[in-house]
Amino acid sequence: MNWLIPYMKEHKRLLAVVVFLGSLTIFAASALLFSSGYLISKAASRPENLLMIYVPIVMVRTFGIMRSVSRYLDRLTSHSLILTIVSRMRVRLYEALRPQTARFKTGDALSLFADDIEHLQDVYIKLIFPWLSALLLYIVSIAALGYFSVPFALVMGLYFFVFTVLVPLVSLLVTKAKQTRQKEQRAAQYSQLADAVMGLGDWIFSGRQRSFIDSYERREEEWTKIEAFKRSFTRGRDFALQLLIGTAVVAMMIWAGGQSTSGQIAPVLIAAFTLVLFPITEAFLPLSSAAESWSGWSHSLNRLDAVEQGKSQQAKTASPAASSSAAIALQDVSFSYNEQAPIFDHFHMAIEHGEKVAILGPSGSGKSTLMQLAFGLIAPQNGVVLINGYEPDDDISREIAVLNQQPYLFNTTVMNNVRLAKPNASDQEVMEAVKKVHLHDYIQALPNGYHTMMQEAGARFSGGERQRIALARVLLQQTPIVILDEPTIGLDPITERQLMDTVFEVLHGNTIVWITHHLAGMEKMDRIVFLEEGKIQMDGPPAELFAANTRYKRLYELDYGLMS
Amino acid sequence: MGKDLFRYEGVAPVLAGLTFFTIIQAVLIILQAKWLAMAITGLFNGGAVDAAAADMALFFAALTGRYFIHFLKQKIVERYSEKTSNALRQKVLAKLFSLGPRLAQKEGTGKLVTLIIEGTGQFRTYLDLFLPKMINMLIIPVSIWLFIVWSDRTSGVILAVTLPVLLIFMVLLGFVARKKADSQWEGYQRLAGHFTDSLRGLQTLTYLGRARSHSQQIERVSEDYRKSTMSTLKVAFLSSFALDFFTMLSVATVAVFLGLGLIDGDMTLLPALTILILAPEYFLPVRELGTDYHATLNGQEAGRAMQAILAIEEAKAEQPVFLERWSADDELVVSNVHAASLKNISFSIKGHQKIGIIGASGAGKSTLIDVLGGFLGLDAGTISINGQEAAHLQKDAWQNLLTYIPQHPYTFSGTLADNIRFYKPDATDEDVLKAADQAGLSSLKALVHETIGEGGRQLSGGQMQRIAVARALLSDRPIVLLDEPTAHLDLETEAALKETMLPLFEDRLVFFATHRLHWMQEMDVVIVLERGHIAEMGTHEELSKKGGMYTAFVQAAQGDAHELAYSIHERA
Repeated sequence: MNWLIPYMKEHKRLLAVVVFLGSLTIFAASALLFSSGYLISKAASRPENLLMIYVPIVMVRTFGIMRSVSRYLDRLTSHSLILTIVSRMRVRLYEALRPQTARFKTGDALSLFADDIEHLQDVYIKLIFPWLSALLLYIVSIAALGYFSVPFALVMGLYFFVFTVLVPLVSLLVTKAKQTRQKEQRAAQYSQLADAVMGLGDWIFSGRQRSFIDSYERREEEWTKIEAFKRSFTRGRDFALQLLIGTAVVAMMIWAGGQSTSGQIAPVLIAAFTLVLFPITEAFLPLSSAAESWSGWSHSLNRLDAVEQGKSQQAKTASPAASSSAAIALQDVSFSYNEQAPIFDHFHMAIEHGEKVAILGPSGSGKSTLMQLAFGLIAPQNGVVLINGYEPDDDISREIAVLNQQPYLFNTTVMNNVRLAKPNASDQEVMEAVKKVHLHDYIQALPNGYHTMMQEAGARFSGGERQRIALARVLLQQTPIVILDEPTIGLDPITERQLMDTVFEVLHGNTIVWITHHLAGMEKMDRIVFLEEGKIQMDGPPAELFAANTRYKRLYELDYGLMS
Repeated sequence: MGKDLFRYEGVAPVLAGLTFFTIIQAVLIILQAKWLAMAITGLFNGGAVDAAAADMALFFAALTGRYFIHFLKQKIVERYSEKTSNALRQKVLAKLFSLGPRLAQKEGTGKLVTLIIEGTGQFRTYLDLFLPKMINMLIIPVSIWLFIVWSDRTSGVILAVTLPVLLIFMVLLGFVARKKADSQWEGYQRLAGHFTDSLRGLQTLTYLGRARSHSQQIERVSEDYRKSTMSTLKVAFLSSFALDFFTMLSVATVAVFLGLGLIDGDMTLLPALTILILAPEYFLPVRELGTDYHATLNGQEAGRAMQAILAIEEAKAEQPVFLERWSADDELVVSNVHAASLKNISFSIKGHQKIGIIGASGAGKSTLIDVLGGFLGLDAGTISINGQEAAHLQKDAWQNLLTYIPQHPYTFSGTLADNIRFYKPDATDEDVLKAADQAGLSSLKALVHETIGEGGRQLSGGQMQRIAVARALLSDRPIVLLDEPTAHLDLETEAALKETMLPLFEDRLVFFATHRLHWMQEMDVVIVLERGHIAEMGTHEELSKKGGMYTAFVQAAQGDAHELAYSIHERA
C-alpha cells in the first residue's frame, strides 16, 4: 500500500478532479436517458405547444454533449495524473535500487522492476479511479432518490452496494487463491521452457523431444483448468449481475408506477426513472472484473515494498579509526552473504600506488567481492576498507574506475555513451579518448559517426569493441585506480590480446587491479595475488612466482601447455 | 483487421453458431425494449401496477434470454479459443524442437519463451474479444435498424445517416492520431525505454559515478514523456470522443424528433419509447469494437509471430542415412559446403578422430558445430556419410549418435541422477553412479537423488560440465560435439575437467570448438577458421611449424609471456 496511497494524498486535487469527471460522465449519461424519457413522456401527453417540451429538448442535447466532453476530459486528466505518479514512482524505485546493485546479478533482473511499476498504472486506471467515481455517483444518486422516497432509496442503496462492494469483494476472494496458484505455475513454466529452449540441442540429440512437449503440456493443462474455472466464474457472475439489473429495473417500475398512481410523482417521470438505471448499472459492472486482477497487482506491490526494505537494511556500521597510505587497503576485513560461509574472515591486503596487481583465483574465491568492497558497493561486517586512506563514499568513482565483464551501453548516441563518464567533457575530449582506444576510425565510418544511436550501432559492436567503448569511459573518468574485472571473458585470444595491449598502453601511471582467471598477460603485472576461499595462497612478482612456486608453475604450464 | 482469422482450423462452425445465436439475441434485444416500453406505457396511461405485471415479466424473460445467449456465446468462443490457442502453442513448440537451437540463438531465448507463454494468452484474448464482437457488429445494428425503420421512418433515417458519418470520423481521427504517434514513435520508444535502460545499466552507472545524478535525469525524461504522450493522447482520445459525441447527438436527435412526432399526434408513446430504448443498443456493437482495441492488436501480432515461426522452412526431407554406429571404417566427407557464414568448407574424416576447431569470434566455429549437429542446412555443397550424400545432417540416424557439451550444458530441475541419465532414461542407478564416478562427480555421489537446479542445490560451472561428461559416458554415443565447454572456467577447474574429459575422447569421433588453445595438443586435426573459410588445417605440430594463422593465435595467447619464460629460464 506504500506505493499507492501516498500518491493519492499527494495529488489530492487532481484526484478529486478525475473522480469528479468520472462520475460526471456517468451522471451525464444517466441524465441524458432521464431527460429523453421525460421528453417523450411529456410529448406523449400532447402539451398545447412546443415550448412545453423546449426545456427537456435542450437538456437532452446538453447532457448528450456533456457526457462526451466530460469523458474526454476525464480520460485526459486521469492519464495526466497517472503519468505524473509514474514518474514519481520511477525516481523512488530507482533511489531504492541504487544502493543495492550488488544484490542483483544481472541488469535484466533489475529491469524486471520496471514492469511492476507499469502494473501499478493499471491499479489506478482500472480500479481506483472508476471505483471512486462509482462510489461518488452511488452516494449522489441514492441521496437524490431519497428525496422522493427514503425506503425505496434504501432498497436501491442495497442494490448498488451489491454492485460496487459486495460482488467485487466476492470476485476478489473467489479468484485470489487461483490467481496465486496460476502465478506460481507460470513462473515454473517460464523456467522449465527457458531451460529447455537453451538445451534444445541436447533434447534433439537425445531423441526425446516428444517427452518434453508432453510434460510441458501437462503443466499447461493444469493452468488451463484453473483458467477455465475463473472464466466460468466470471461468465456466471456477469450473467447474475445482468439478472440483478433486470430485477432492479422491474422494482423501479413497480415503485414509480405505484408513486404515480398515488399521485406522488407525475406519470411522465416513470420512463425517466426506469431508463436512468441502465447507464448507472453499466458503470458499476466493470468494477467486479477489475477486482479480480487485484491479486496480480498486489504481487507487484509486495515486490516493490521488499525492494525498499532491502534499502533500509544497507545501513553501515561505524568502523574503527584506521589509516593507510596504500591505494587500496583491506584491514582485518570480514564479509559474508550468509552466516555459514564467510567469504572473507579477518582478511588483510594492501595495494600500493602505481602498482599493477593481478588477482587470480577460481570462481567463488572472493575476487569479485574484493572489487565490490573496494568500490563500497558492499560494506564489510568487520574491519575497514581504505582507498587512498579513506573509506569509500559516494565520490568513490573519482578514485576508482571499473572495466567489468559486461559494460552496459545505453540507448543513446555513441558520443553520449562515452561522455557519460564525464558529463562536462567536450566533443573533442570524448574523441581524444576514443582515439586512444583505437575506435575513432571505426566510429567515424558509421552512418552518423559519433551521433549514431547505440541501438543501431550496438548490434554491430563486437565484444572487443564494446570493451573499448567502456575503456574510453574509464579514460575520461581519469581516476588514479582502475579495476579490471574479467573484461576479456568470452573474447578470442587475439581480440583479448589486442584489448589488453590497448589497456596497458593507455593506463600508464595508474594503479591497476586486474581480476582474472587465467594467466594471459600476467607478464605485464608487478605482482600476482592468488586467492582461494578468501585467503591469499600466493603473492609475489610473476617471475619470482614462476621460479619459486610450483603451484603457479603448474598453472602456467596448464595455460601455456603449448610451449615446450 | 482479422483477415488471417479464417485460416484457423474449425473457425467456420464457430462463426456459424455465433451467427445463429446472435440473430436470436438481436430479436431478444428488440423484444426486451418493446416489453419494457409496453410496461412503462401501461403505467403511464394510468394502469395499475398489477396490469403491467405481465409486460414486466415478459421484459424480464427477454432480458434473461438475451444474457443467457450472451453466456452461451461466450462459452462457445472461449472453448474454441482455448482449443485453438493451445493447438497453436503445441505446433510452435514442436516446430521449435524440430528447427533446433539456431532459431533461439537468433531470436533470443527470452523472446521465444515469452511468445510461447504470453503470446498464446494474448492470441487467445484476441479470439475471445474479436470473434463475438465482429459477429455482433454485423448482425445487431442491422436487425435493430430494420425494426426501427419499420416502426418510424424518420428515426431510421437519422440512425442510418449517423452511423457511416461516425465511422468515417473514427477512421479519419484514428488515422491522424496514428500519424502523429508514428512521427513521434522513435522519440517515444526512447523515452518509454529509458527507465528500463537505466535499471539495466545501473551497475555501469554506479561504476561511472553517475548513479546519483541520474535520478534527476529519470525525472526529466519521465516528465518529457508525460508531455509528449499527453499531446498524442489529446488527438488519440478524440476518436473515441467523436464516437461518443455522434452517438449521443444521434440519440438526442432521435429523441427530439420522436417528441415532435408525439406532439403532432403522428406517433404514440409505445413505439417512441421502444425506439428510444433501442437507439443506444444500435450503436453499442460499434462502440464495443473500439474498446480493447489494443488487446486485440497484441493478440493479432502474437498470432502472426507464431504463424511466422510455423512458416519457417524445415530441412528438406531426404533419404534417411543408414548408419548404425560410428566405427573406425566410417567416413564423413564435407565438400564445398556453404552455410550461413561458412564458405567453401571441405574436409574428410575417417573413423575415430579428434578434430579441434579454432578461430576468432565470428569466424564460424559455432556455425560449423551447428552444421555437424544437423541444426543448420547447407546452402551449397554436400556432406556424405559412407558415400551417402546429404544436404543436411538433420537425420535421426546421425543425431542419435551424438552427444553435445556446450558452454552451459542443459540441466533441468530434477534429481542429479535423472540429469545424468538424460540421454538414456532407462539406465540403472548403478550405471549412473559409475558414470558419475568416471566424470569426477564422486563428491556429489551421496546426492544423486537430490534435486538440483531451480529450488534445489545449485551447481558450479565445473560441476555442470561434469554432468555433461557423465551423460556422454553413460549414453556411450560414439560422436561428441563440444562448443566452448571451458571458456568460463578458471584454470585449475579446467585442468581437472580436462583429465576426466580426455578418456571420453578415446575411441570416439570428437569435434571440439574452443578459444582455449592447449586442448589442440590432444587433437588429431586442427581446423583454423577465418571469416567463414578454412585458413589452415593439420596437426598441432604441422601448424606450429608453418608460421601461419595458428601460430598467430598461439602467439597472441602467450604474447610476451614467451619472452618472459625464456628470460626466467636463462636466469635460472
